[in-house]
Amino acid sequence: MAIESLQNTVLGEITEASSAEFTVDCHELYASPPLGGLVKTEDSEEVFAVVRSISTAPIDPTRRPVARGKNEPDRDAVYRKNPQLEKLLRTEFLATIVGHRASDGYHQYLPPQPPKIHTFVHICTTEEIFSFTQKLEFLPLLLFGPMPLADEVTAAFLRPAATSHPDPNSFLLAAGREISRLLNRDLQRLNALLRRIRP
Amino acid sequence: MSLDLENVSSQLDAVVSGIRIQSAGHKTRLEEAIKAIKSSDGSAINKKRVEGKFSWPTPLYSPHPERTYPPLEAPENYCVLATDGSHIDVDRHLPLQCSLINISKVSLQYGNQPQAHLSSQPRLYTRDHGIKETKSPGVRALSLEGSLLSAKRSVDEIIALAELAEQAPQQLPVLALVDGSLELWGPTIQASPEYIREALINQGLISSFARLQEIARRQPLALAAYISLPRSAGVADGLRLTSCPYDPVNCELHCSGIVDGDRPCDTVGGLLDRELFSTILPPGERSELFYSTSSIVQEYYGPHAVAFYYLNTGDESARVEVPNWVAQDQNLLALSHTLILNQCKKGLGYPAAIMEAHEQAVINIQDREMFRRMVEDTLANEGLPVYTSEKDRSKRLRWL
Repeated sequence: MAIESLQNTVLGEITEASSAEFTVDCHELYASPPLGGLVKTEDSEEVFAVVRSISTAPIDPTRRPVARGKNEPDRDAVYRKNPQLEKLLRTEFLATIVGHRASDGYHQYLPPQPPKIHTFVHICTTEEIFSFTQKLEFLPLLLFGPMPLADEVTAAFLRPAATSHPDPNSFLLAAGREISRLLNRDLQRLNALLRRIRP
Repeated sequence: MSLDLENVSSQLDAVVSGIRIQSAGHKTRLEEAIKAIKSSDGSAINKKRVEGKFSWPTPLYSPHPERTYPPLEAPENYCVLATDGSHIDVDRHLPLQCSLINISKVSLQYGNQPQAHLSSQPRLYTRDHGIKETKSPGVRALSLEGSLLSAKRSVDEIIALAELAEQAPQQLPVLALVDGSLELWGPTIQASPEYIREALINQGLISSFARLQEIARRQPLALAAYISLPRSAGVADGLRLTSCPYDPVNCELHCSGIVDGDRPCDTVGGLLDRELFSTILPPGERSELFYSTSSIVQEYYGPHAVAFYYLNTGDESARVEVPNWVAQDQNLLALSHTLILNQCKKGLGYPAAIMEAHEQAVINIQDREMFRRMVEDTLANEGLPVYTSEKDRSKRLRWL
């Protein structure tokens, strides 16, 4: 789903939260932000997180989807002719917390408390992405957290985040320098990640 | 000790061997029954039914019971509604004597604006919610438990269907479906006092049928009940009347000394309706209509008297029951046939709307355990005594 169409709408609600990450149950099927998208919680103290994994599965795990499109022209026809599917499937995403905003501004470290269950979650606007990425101190939270495919997610975040800056190349160069500093003991990993964000 | 499965297995083997021996005779009887229905005159069977004395229930036949009908083209835009129910019966080992009925509602709209609404509504019943005799206030209310609770649940499903139909889009053809039968029957209903029948049948069931009929006056609405793998044998048993040499039929007088299997009518006996119709119905087609002659229907149902047909869905021969106002309206009857067939295709052999209604209504083992704990916790939080029977405690602890 296009990011523009998701802005200013509630994506969904937090259904599981810890200090480092939270899970969001999307209000609409397939209406998740993209991998690497920056999201924020709707709270007095906004928590910012990067989407690290998206999944769609039956709400009831004991009910397995079966092929329904043998005589249909395309996938959309399958959904159109089986309207209950929209209510029986659920899209969720998992987001790694990269900072929060208190009364004194942005902090690129973990908030004192994880967000509460059922907290609404929005996708960040271009302006918010620009403001949040004025500093790059959040990168260790992405690179050294427990998540698999951390480098893929970091690259997926940095590439579109660069477009929020007036000079995207300068932003990516600065991010590359910071990543080089953090991964200087793992040149293979560093090279692979730098190739992914190369301007 | 757990179940002795080895013992069960040897008993099962013996049963299956018995079935194999019977199957040759079964095939011959089925062939005779097919010949009988194809050459029979429904009016003659009905006449024999009215004049005869025999013990099995037989429906009223249409003049040409062998006729079959193909489905029509489904409308482009339509709505299918379904309800279902599940319940937790009174558990006398629980500290609170209560039962619970969970009724689901499903609305599936097909066509240009596809949508789905799925929901369920639980309702708790305690001793105060029993069915009361309003004319004699002194008489104690009958507690909702056991088969009375099951009957109440069946009625609640139809009430929910009427509510759902009243909220359906007014411009669309509607199929309103329930799982099971439109007939409220069984020994509980037969033996229950008049005020129970009044509450369940007249105030619950019949008034809901009337609400649905009222909607059907302003938009095409077909009410139908769907029975998968039906065990009814009424139509097949009715064919016995065609092979009975006695007129009028009088089993006690002519055949009381003859063992089962040797009576003249046994040449077509011992069959289920679905076995008969799975042979004579081409895929997608429905049978001719038959009409229930049950005493409950005759006494209470009036314009909603139950008619039924068999439908070859492609996967099985299902029984479809409709009220008389659907049976007598060719458009509504065809709508029920076409859309049920369509639903079976979408549901891979079983109506998709009923399947979803079942999924919404079902109370699984975990939910039942949670309900039990909620009852205990709620009582404990209010400082009320929480006790259980020693039998129940023993079952839960399973100490050695």
